[in-house]
Amino acid sequence: MRSMVIILSIAVGLFAGIAVLALYKGMMKSRVRTLIYAEAGHLQIHDSNFKKDYDPRYVIINGSKIIKEIASAPGVLLAAPRSITQGMLATTTGSAGVQINGVIPELEYAVSQLKRKIVEGAKFNSAKKNEVLIGKKLADKMKLKLRSKLVLTFTDSSGTIVSGAFRVAGIFQSDNAPLDEKNVYVDIKDLNALLSISYAFHEIVILLDRDEDVSSIQDNLRRRYPGLLIESWREISPETDLLVKTTNQYSYIIMIIIMIALAFGIINTMLMAIIERTREIGMMLALGINRLRLFTLILLETIFLTLAGTPIGILAAWLIINYYNKKGLNLSGLGEEMMSSFGFGMIIYPEFPIDKLAGVLIIVIATAIISCLFPALRALMLQPVVALRR
Amino acid sequence: MDTVIDAHNISKVYNPETIPVYAVNNVHLHLKKGEFTALVGPSGSGKTTLLNLIGGLDKPDEGNILINGIDITKLSANDLIDFRLHNIGFVFQSFNLIPVLTAKENVEFIMQLQRINKKQRDERIKQLFKEIDLEDKLNERPSKLSGGQQQRVAVARALASKPKFILADEPTANLDSKSASNLLDIMDKLNREENITFLFSTHDQRVIDRARRVITLVDGRIVSDTAEVSTKHEDADMKH
Ligand SMILES: Nc1ncnc2c1ncn2[C@@H]1O[C@H](COP(=O)(O)OP(=O)(O)OP(=O)(O)O)[C@@H](O)[C@H]1O
Ligand SMILES: [Mg+2]
Repeated sequence: MRSMVIILSIAVGLFAGIAVLALYKGMMKSRVRTLIYAEAGHLQIHDSNFKKDYDPRYVIINGSKIIKEIASAPGVLLAAPRSITQGMLATTTGSAGVQINGVIPELEYAVSQLKRKIVEGAKFNSAKKNEVLIGKKLADKMKLKLRSKLVLTFTDSSGTIVSGAFRVAGIFQSDNAPLDEKNVYVDIKDLNALLSISYAFHEIVILLDRDEDVSSIQDNLRRRYPGLLIESWREISPETDLLVKTTNQYSYIIMIIIMIALAFGIINTMLMAIIERTREIGMMLALGINRLRLFTLILLETIFLTLAGTPIGILAAWLIINYYNKKGLNLSGLGEEMMSSFGFGMIIYPEFPIDKLAGVLIIVIATAIISCLFPALRALMLQPVVALRR
Repeated sequence: MDTVIDAHNISKVYNPETIPVYAVNNVHLHLKKGEFTALVGPSGSGKTTLLNLIGGLDKPDEGNILINGIDITKLSANDLIDFRLHNIGFVFQSFNLIPVLTAKENVEFIMQLQRINKKQRDERIKQLFKEIDLEDKLNERPSKLSGGQQQRVAVARALASKPKFILADEPTANLDSKSASNLLDIMDKLNREENITFLFSTHDQRVIDRARRVITLVDGRIVSDTAEVSTKHEDADMKH
């Protein structure tokens, strides 16, 4: 009975620890996935001066040639160009600062899932000119509807202020609300005409076949195009990189909190066990069991119970995590707003943290042993005469 | 005959600061190998305290206790534990056995502590269970045994370590009279046939009647000892 309590608390502790890690791993993976496949790509290329203040003068020199070379390089899935400028979006009622992205629609749909993100209206209509896709957050803020007219104002490559009238063709919504608020998409032809940069562009977004190739391909490209700024998603979104790293640490802190709760449970149960067995222990001491041996006995009992609880906890965690890994865990209960403001999707696919399993196991077993030390020491303090008189 | 227990002038005082209780007061006790002795006296007269002192479970405030010539009051706590394991057998009033172990394991456990090898242990267990007439209950847990059977297993366990003597504090207190007399039969037989030394406390007149020597305690002092009477008789006889 008491053994069951300890076995179960070990199992529950282990399960909770693994579940937290799995959830974090799933969230981080989906965040990185979103970042790569819906926002930044694996790698981005810019002119080395461009990112300082997004001056549209700094197009990628020989861009069309380079993008062809890259698109056909091994390991590269696709490469898409973007013309980019910072500007002002104005309606009859107000204005907002935005980044205007000139894209080749078909390529952009593939590289950042732009088409899939559209929640109202339609994709670009190639027969129409000056269409714009805007994010839901921005549309709400600026009270823009489908077919609404707006004016985009920015400086062209020679520093002259230009503006163009655009019509809202579609409204998109991604998992990343802050990005939706700041970015609008137009056809690269329309933007380039206004910027007077003809067929040039400022950015190449690259998707690779495999995530693992990022740094090797990045190195290759750097060697091949020394004059260009070539960044991986970690450099483009250092906050995501940091998030992944700090979450790693947080997950251990949460583990430790769970373990402290577990430790109290074990201390309590073991103390009860020892109080209940006072006479038994007193009798064994009277008969001549030495204290070291008694101590070892109590320790062994806890270790045995821990080892009995461990597979139960791991198995339960594995089953449940795998279930949700396939089905997805809907976290919209936590608040859609909050999740998307951090760039997380609503559905998390928790992943069994096999890489951290050893660490978790060590923490759990160490917790169990440490928390039985105190009860064991108490048992050692028992005087047989006193214990037997009870 | 060899002397096994030689207690000189021992005293144990509880609460010396507040209201002192002289649980054992200036006791001399001399026990020889093969004696079968009952320690009697009213409740609170100090029987348990005296047995605990002799068994090395407690230290006297005054006096020395020599067991086979070794003064156990001078032993360190750890040496005392070891000394108990190899020299003294204990039978308590109740709760003698470890509930999770079988009868056999309860007896074997003490020999494992003594590091006796498996073959010798098995032989001894066989012999001991024959003596207590419980060969069919070897693999039962204590909860499946009657109180009398449990006490017999406790006697077997006490014997297992081949001690110099066995101390039993009211071993029959929780038994019905049939089980009590059964237990006494076994102790008596062990004493007669194998010369095992017993010192046991009791309230029960029928148990007292079976003892070959009776020591009576009142308020921590020995007020009568049949051995001294008989010694006096012997002295008297010698004079004739
Ligand atoms: N730990 C203790 N603290 C204070 N007094 C104690 C303690 N243990 C025993 N005493 C007192 O010492 C005296 C002797 O007690 P002891 O238990 O040895 O008597 P006893 O003859 O075994 O009694 P009983 O027949 O009831 O078992 C009693 O007055 C008891 O109250
Ligand atoms: Mg008593």
